[in-house]
Amino acid sequence: MKLHLHVGVVETADEITLNEALAVAQCTERVLVRLAPNLAVLECDDAERVVSALEANGLHPKVMR
Amino acid sequence: MTEAAATPIRRFRAAELDLLSVLEVVIARSPKVLKNGLPNLAFFRAANASLAQPDDEPGGIGFAQVEFWLALARDLSLVAEVEGRLDVTPEADEFFTLTSDERLVLLRKAWIESRDLNEFALTPELELPALRKGRTVDVTSDFPTAERLVEARRELVQIVEAIQNETTLPEFVDWLERNARNLFITHDNDGSWRQVFYRGIRERGGREDVERDGSWEIVEGAVVRLMVALPLSSLGWIDYDPRSYAIAPLSDGPAEEHSFEVVVQPNFEAVALGDRPDPSALWRLARFTTPRPEGRVRTYILERKPFSDALGRGDAAAELVSFLAGLSRAPLPQNVRFSLDDWAALSERIKIWPDALLIEAEGVEDLARTLPEKLLSKLAPTKLTGGHYALPAPETSVLREVAPPRRTVLDYSRRLPPVIAPTDTTALSAPREELHFRARQLLGLVSRSLSTDRYELDPELVADSAAALGPEELLRRVREGMAKPLSAPLSLALRTWSGEFPRPYAGGAEVFLADNFEQAELLDELPEFKRWVERQLAPGVFLLRPNGAGELRRLLEKLGIKPRSDARGR
Repeated sequence: MKLHLHVGVVETADEITLNEALAVAQCTERVLVRLAPNLAVLECDDAERVVSALEANGLHPKVMR
Repeated sequence: MTEAAATPIRRFRAAELDLLSVLEVVIARSPKVLKNGLPNLAFFRAANASLAQPDDEPGGIGFAQVEFWLALARDLSLVAEVEGRLDVTPEADEFFTLTSDERLVLLRKAWIESRDLNEFALTPELELPALRKGRTVDVTSDFPTAERLVEARRELVQIVEAIQNETTLPEFVDWLERNARNLFITHDNDGSWRQVFYRGIRERGGREDVERDGSWEIVEGAVVRLMVALPLSSLGWIDYDPRSYAIAPLSDGPAEEHSFEVVVQPNFEAVALGDRPDPSALWRLARFTTPRPEGRVRTYILERKPFSDALGRGDAAAELVSFLAGLSRAPLPQNVRFSLDDWAALSERIKIWPDALLIEAEGVEDLARTLPEKLLSKLAPTKLTGGHYALPAPETSVLREVAPPRRTVLDYSRRLPPVIAPTDTTALSAPREELHFRARQLLGLVSRSLSTDRYELDPELVADSAAALGPEELLRRVREGMAKPLSAPLSLALRTWSGEFPRPYAGGAEVFLADNFEQAELLDELPEFKRWVERQLAPGVFLLRPNGAGELRRLLEKLGIKPRSDARGR
């Protein structure tokens, strides 16, 4: 077990959705690690960029703050 | 004569809707907070328009009510500045789960103890030239300090609680002037050369400070009038009728039941109708809609973003839909119900924790069994794919209480220690226990795993990553991620693979050597010589084109010069 504090986490229904979400935010190259095909860990700033980019495109993810 | 049945809680309930309106405008607008710490003018105008009886801004009254409710909301942490914008807080959600009586007690306490609220500044009849926009005083003034105002509020509350019979506001002010003259400002030495004027206090539009003699009613009287009309009346200490200026004590009695309903329309507007709405219910409605409070009519627009935001705060979609349906007498319009279900399903497809605590399960570890019970119950993390858990980042002190013992917390808001150890070869060593995500990202960019703790630098991966990030950025990350400086061979390999160094040549070549510098310069002036030179490698050292050696030998022989064949001699 490892505890990672102050990271951004993105989990999607499937791998394609995750790829698209990261691509929309231009964060594909900035992913710290993919713990599963549909689960990516990013720096907090990059996760905020994903939220902003998705909302700017009319998608409203479930954001846990 | 005011209504005989007026009770503190009834008086408060009517006023509380103004607080709700101000907070709803905060939700709807997320106003920008200016340098003076106050929200922008557009917010004040919108919030003022949402009140049951708005203040008259063009008439110079300003936004006393909005400032009053906002100050109390800030004191109770119902609103806070988040990234330059004013937003409501989770404390506001808790606040509206309380009963009206409990809310009344909290608001009364907040007003009496408020150090930010300044009734002198809110009083429209007065002008305080010493007062800056940030509500701080920077020159000598008779203006009471925050501590003095707190004391004055306590004293005034005691006085109004002792009122037995109906009176009028002018009579009350007159009584205070005679019996509590020093309520806000000390008048014991009035008439001395120091205390001729209310220093720093003027009548609105006045050019000089107000003279103390005979002006108590103008200065302190104005503040008392504001306190009677706003906190004392709104927070249920007295019954005040602004038309007749009558002040009457309130009698205890039961609160009336809430009476209202919400009509949900097919155009996604929910309109709250009724004279006695329940602020708790309206607050919950406002938290998953875009509220549009306009005086007595309250409209809540059902939209995807606030609905998704509510789901992100932990509300279940089914509960929200059922709550909305419960407020409405008629069934929800089909298109509205369908859209809410659809929005919920779409939001669930992408879940984001922008600032999270991620509990990573390593290998086949089952965190549901190994995580401490107190962590699961207190922080309620969400289970992710692969058995990992995530939750919004808790306060460090909270985490310390519930975290499993002897577990290091890797804090990504700080620089993490470099954990990758380079070797003299292209192999890297990185102990799994210390490996954080930043190190894993770096290893993923440049190496392939050999075993649990061993990695091998991969030229193809390095080349690909250098193309994506740029060689300098990649090497910066590599240097930062290494526990010690790169060895010369490793540095040479990485910088070459990344494209920073061109690939060196090793093999046969035709070379022309001219040991004398001037000799080389003279040769370089010959067009026939230059034709066969590929590149000058150093002074007097020329790399020749194929067959260049034979051609140049012939050229020099024509000049009677016989070139030597052994490069070592002279």
